[in-house]
Amino acid sequence: MSKREEILGRVPAIPPLPTSATQMLGLVGNPDTQINDVQRVVEYDPGLVSNLLRLANSAYFGTGGAINSVREAVVRLGIKRVFQIAMTSAVAPLAQQEIRGYDLPRNGLLRHSAATALAVEYLPKRLGMRVPDATYTAGLLHDLGKIVLGTYLEVDSAPITLMAYRENLSFELAEQRVLGTDHAEVGAALLEFWKLPEAVVLAVRWHHAPNSYPNEDRTVVDLVHIGEHIARICGTSSSTDGMNYSVCVESLERMKVSPDVIEQVAGDVLGSLEEICAIFN
Amino acid sequence: MQLTVGISEMRVSKSAEDTLITYSLGSCIGVALYDPDAGVGGLVHCMLPLSRLDPDKAKQNPHMFTDTGVPALIQAVLDKGGTRKRLVAKVAGAASPLNDNGMFKIGERNYTVLRKVLWKNEILIAAEDVGGTIARTLLLNIASGKTSIRTGGKEREL
Repeated sequence: MSKREEILGRVPAIPPLPTSATQMLGLVGNPDTQINDVQRVVEYDPGLVSNLLRLANSAYFGTGGAINSVREAVVRLGIKRVFQIAMTSAVAPLAQQEIRGYDLPRNGLLRHSAATALAVEYLPKRLGMRVPDATYTAGLLHDLGKIVLGTYLEVDSAPITLMAYRENLSFELAEQRVLGTDHAEVGAALLEFWKLPEAVVLAVRWHHAPNSYPNEDRTVVDLVHIGEHIARICGTSSSTDGMNYSVCVESLERMKVSPDVIEQVAGDVLGSLEEICAIFN
Repeated sequence: MQLTVGISEMRVSKSAEDTLITYSLGSCIGVALYDPDAGVGGLVHCMLPLSRLDPDKAKQNPHMFTDTGVPALIQAVLDKGGTRKRLVAKVAGAASPLNDNGMFKIGERNYTVLRKVLWKNEILIAAEDVGGTIARTLLLNIASGKTSIRTGGKEREL
């Protein structure tokens, strides 16, 4: 068995998503879902209720005016937004943990994940585009593969980092050389196992190689690719991989992004990031 | 006491017990400014080069931008008893991603703007660790003025 097969074979041993997040996944994909259905799922999970109400009243997710109940949150924010908040609430405890193998301190991955989720929504807004449905969730979950590798499989990233800097290789290419796979492929395998929508799984799978994305419309993967680079500008890169990733120039061209827009989005993200992260601390 | 300087933040101290620290300097620029005679120093962590990008944000938080954040740091150190001609500046950060085609040259631009601001204020850079693709942590010890860089678990004096 190759090292890659061995690593991907371990993915099903990772703990499942909380029940509320799994049920929300079913509801968000079903056109017949009623507000009552969502309310029932959320109210069954006290942790989610508390996070939902706090996020629903944050400057970023809020709609102006206080939201005092789960029902009000679902009505005012919509089912898709409540699903995104449920996913944020579900992965926050995982992303908050210190990831030893990848030298990520406590809250390090949460900050990077939240910054990317914010960047992938601010970017299309600055470009005058509609934000595609899968974007937030893909941005939020794009680096979960690092938890699988660094925590559950206890991969030590030191030789990977050494190879990346010594050979001037993008970090995920060094992962591929050492492990036979990379955090994008492993993360996508986990999300597929958790039954996340295909649009999210594929964007996570190809976020370092948007040109290899198998479908014609590359909007979501391009947004996640550029959004992650913007999240690094916002000081969320780790001491392991730093800014040692390649930029896909075609993604920038497809999205018609200018340096000014990149800087504006970085400013937008920083303005919202502390508030979102503080909710989970 | 170890005082953390967040991104787009600044801190100045005259207390010999303090060490100022800023984490995750990627393309951002970190400046440590210190007056050895007065025992006063400060640290700023600026994210973007020029405040003209968003004058409202710059007004709310001048430390977000290098062209407003660094002058604010100089002024704050002077206000706490520093003297301009004694100020020692040490700099870290200004990294860039690989093959970015110029789109993400924020690090280099931060560094260029910083040099202009310091030159205008007649302050020389005494030491620096800039560029490349790594993320850096910058520390300034107020008692000794010792400035250090931490990368990949290793620490060395700057």
